[in-house]
Amino acid sequence: MTRGTRPRTRQRGRTKGRTTALAVTLAAAAALLTACTAEEQAPSDPGKPVPGTLRVLASSELADMTAVFEQVEKDTGIKVRPTYTGTLDAVDLLAEGRAKERYDALWLSSNDYLRLRPEAAKQIVSETPVMSSPVAIGVEPGTVRELGWKPDDVTWSDIDEAVADGKLTYGMTDPSRSNSGFSTLISVASGLSGAQSALTDADVEKATPKLKEFFKGQQLTSGSSGWLAQAYDRRGDVDALLNYESVLKARKDLTVIRPRDGVVTADYPLSSLASTGQEVRDDVRRLTEALRTPEIQRLITDRTLRRPVVASVPLGPGLDSGRRRELPFPGARSVADGLLDAYDNELRRPSRTVYVLDTSGSMEGERLDRLKTALTELTSEFRDREEVTLMPFGSEVKSVRTHVVRPEDPGAGLDGIRADTRRLSASGDTAIYTSLEKAYERLGAADRDTFTSVVLMTDGENTAGAGPEEFDDFYARLTGHQRDIPVFPILFGDSDRAELEHIADLTGGRLFDAQQGSLDGAFEEIRGYQ
Amino acid sequence: MPSASTLPGVRRIAGIVLAVLLLGGVVAAVVAGREEQDTGTATKTVRMVIGSEKAEFFADPDVVKALAAKGYTVKAETSGSWAMEGFDLKGYDAAFPSSQVPAAELAKKYGVKQTLARPFYSPLVVVAHRNAAEVLAANGLATLDEHRGTLKMGAYLDAARGDRTWQQLKGAEKYGELTGTLYISSTDPETSNSGALYLAATSYVAAGGRLVTSDADVERVAPLMRKLIAVQGAQQSSTDAVFRDFVSGAGNPLVLVYESQIAALLDDDGQSPGDMVVLYPDTTITSDHTVVPLTENGRALGELLGTDQELRMLAVQHGFRPQDAGTEFASAASDRGTYLKQELSGVRQAPVPTSAVLHELARRARG
Repeated sequence: MTRGTRPRTRQRGRTKGRTTALAVTLAAAAALLTACTAEEQAPSDPGKPVPGTLRVLASSELADMTAVFEQVEKDTGIKVRPTYTGTLDAVDLLAEGRAKERYDALWLSSNDYLRLRPEAAKQIVSETPVMSSPVAIGVEPGTVRELGWKPDDVTWSDIDEAVADGKLTYGMTDPSRSNSGFSTLISVASGLSGAQSALTDADVEKATPKLKEFFKGQQLTSGSSGWLAQAYDRRGDVDALLNYESVLKARKDLTVIRPRDGVVTADYPLSSLASTGQEVRDDVRRLTEALRTPEIQRLITDRTLRRPVVASVPLGPGLDSGRRRELPFPGARSVADGLLDAYDNELRRPSRTVYVLDTSGSMEGERLDRLKTALTELTSEFRDREEVTLMPFGSEVKSVRTHVVRPEDPGAGLDGIRADTRRLSASGDTAIYTSLEKAYERLGAADRDTFTSVVLMTDGENTAGAGPEEFDDFYARLTGHQRDIPVFPILFGDSDRAELEHIADLTGGRLFDAQQGSLDGAFEEIRGYQ
Repeated sequence: MPSASTLPGVRRIAGIVLAVLLLGGVVAAVVAGREEQDTGTATKTVRMVIGSEKAEFFADPDVVKALAAKGYTVKAETSGSWAMEGFDLKGYDAAFPSSQVPAAELAKKYGVKQTLARPFYSPLVVVAHRNAAEVLAANGLATLDEHRGTLKMGAYLDAARGDRTWQQLKGAEKYGELTGTLYISSTDPETSNSGALYLAATSYVAAGGRLVTSDADVERVAPLMRKLIAVQGAQQSSTDAVFRDFVSGAGNPLVLVYESQIAALLDDDGQSPGDMVVLYPDTTITSDHTVVPLTENGRALGELLGTDQELRMLAVQHGFRPQDAGTEFASAASDRGTYLKQELSGVRQAPVPTSAVLHELARRARG
């Protein structure tokens, strides 16, 4: 379960055990890490305490700090062992007291959301901002020219106007999964609401029509900044990216604009935890000291293009010293959660997904049970207006059932999905490619103003129907919006990594690993990309 | 006497990290006295709970040495000053909160009858970026004198009451960053000393220069307090964090901090204060670091901190003003350029409401 759906879950009673939800989320994080770092294995579990090593629960953007961590280790002997996560998941973990004995410190892009959850906030004993980066929009230079924009003068309203006129499209990360997406959502909402001070429920309500219009321009969504950038490059027809300045500046091919009417800035506070002992806190303190020396601050701003917090250190290359108003972060959890809820269920384009599910003979028994459990749990994640098609296959596609989560009666669609899930049975061979082709045909070539994708879950190699070359040819013949539909394959059971990786690469998708992680975790992680 | 430039960098950073503000009820165990630096003359060990902003002072090797020379080893643990009431201080020699009110409560709780030593203090001030300071001055909200000035609290509260935005102030249109409601960023008054003292100062001004004592008083000022806090949205929990954001150019252009933090920044080699202007509110609150002795050793140490010339000098180096001001701060202040006032003439000190009243104000302000 994610924050995105949580407020709605609360309101409509689509409940699921929070502990289970959290486990799923953690497993998902683990699955993602194993999936995306094949060569460079990242720790999926913080592991046992090791003296001199700090187990840090960290924002995923901090993955670009490796060189800095190495230097700090040289200087102080303190090794940083990061476990990457989204802000919202980290806050849950803390609030539920689950960081105890697993983590020695917390390092998020911002503690603003954490402060709205007193039970999480009280787990923090000290916090020290280490660097900063504001939310910005990176626009393709040709588009900047066409729009006649002077980067220093652009406001959120200008951006909104360009979107409304059909002159600007963009990608951003999923606010429920990603720190940058969440900060972006707050920035956009504050900027467009015209609120003069911290955003309130009334501001959000007032701004809803405008926000709806604005998010029509969002052509790409992603659970991570890295994949967003890849998808942007692949598509070639999206004009801009919304993300932290540091991420956008690193690309070098975008004109990076900090809207002049204000931004939300991430200040990366390194935080020590109430659950840790004196020795650990002392190490956290030494780490913080080291990170704030002018030498390391220089390294940080030069390498990561974040802004230093020590006044004597000059800004990294290409960073502009002009000031921006800081948009205040909402002071109430209801506002932040309400905004996430509105984004998921009203503001963003809905998702449209075909789940291509292997129910061949080899799935019989425990594997099929796991699939059914995972899918059933996933129903608590589906957003209003979402279209979900279940396409179980064996030697061929067995059935095609489409359900829509209608805002006026979300339960009906979800019940339908659950009923179909219960009816799944295992038999036949494994026709992966033929089934994928059916999924593409089902989705069609028309642009329906949705985030459209295919999820492929298989526990084995292709044994029936079209082969990989035939699918390559099929994909090459696709036109229009069909070519933009990514397949997100899930590695499960005895499925073949190379085969699935090829499908992901070919279609611009991403591989998720349920061999090392869990199946529910993989499904859950893919939500960020749908 | 150690020179002012020996260790401020290390001290400052340590202090920043230790600037822990806890009302949550956790004592952060930080050994401030460093045993390895003890000299053979140290015989009396004094255990104290201290406000976190003094942690760097007690961790400073020069302070450790100066205390050792007088026969003391201090073992200090930090805690939010307002959280000390909640602890059992059995076994401690003294508590050293950063404000008189919690000190008085503690004295009452532990039956301490004697006058409490207040070795040093630091006023709350507002740091501003130059653009913002100039706009405030042009609109009668402040007066400026190079890198420092005076913030007129009455005028500021009028602006807050009227939801005044920067756009409504003349001259602000030149600066893109000066938009939105005009406000001072403080820390969370429910969890942090400086945030609570902000309400103490503003409630005093709002009540017409009277201390807020009764329920009726609270009722009268609460809506304005609510405004001052609600406008800020999510608040930081430590003055260090807001000050760091300010220094890095992010965050609100007006931030409430302790004067001692600015002194530490100015003393730190290589730290240029950029375009910072220090505004002394015409009515402010000082953070009175007050020793509540629980044993004879604690009492003697409290006295020593206020009387020993070297310890007073070291306190000045950490940006604190020693009580019964001699010339120490003034002479150090002259080295701190044109940012700090040598003397606090013209700054009215508001009294602090009782702990109960302040807690209620904070609760109402947070809504």
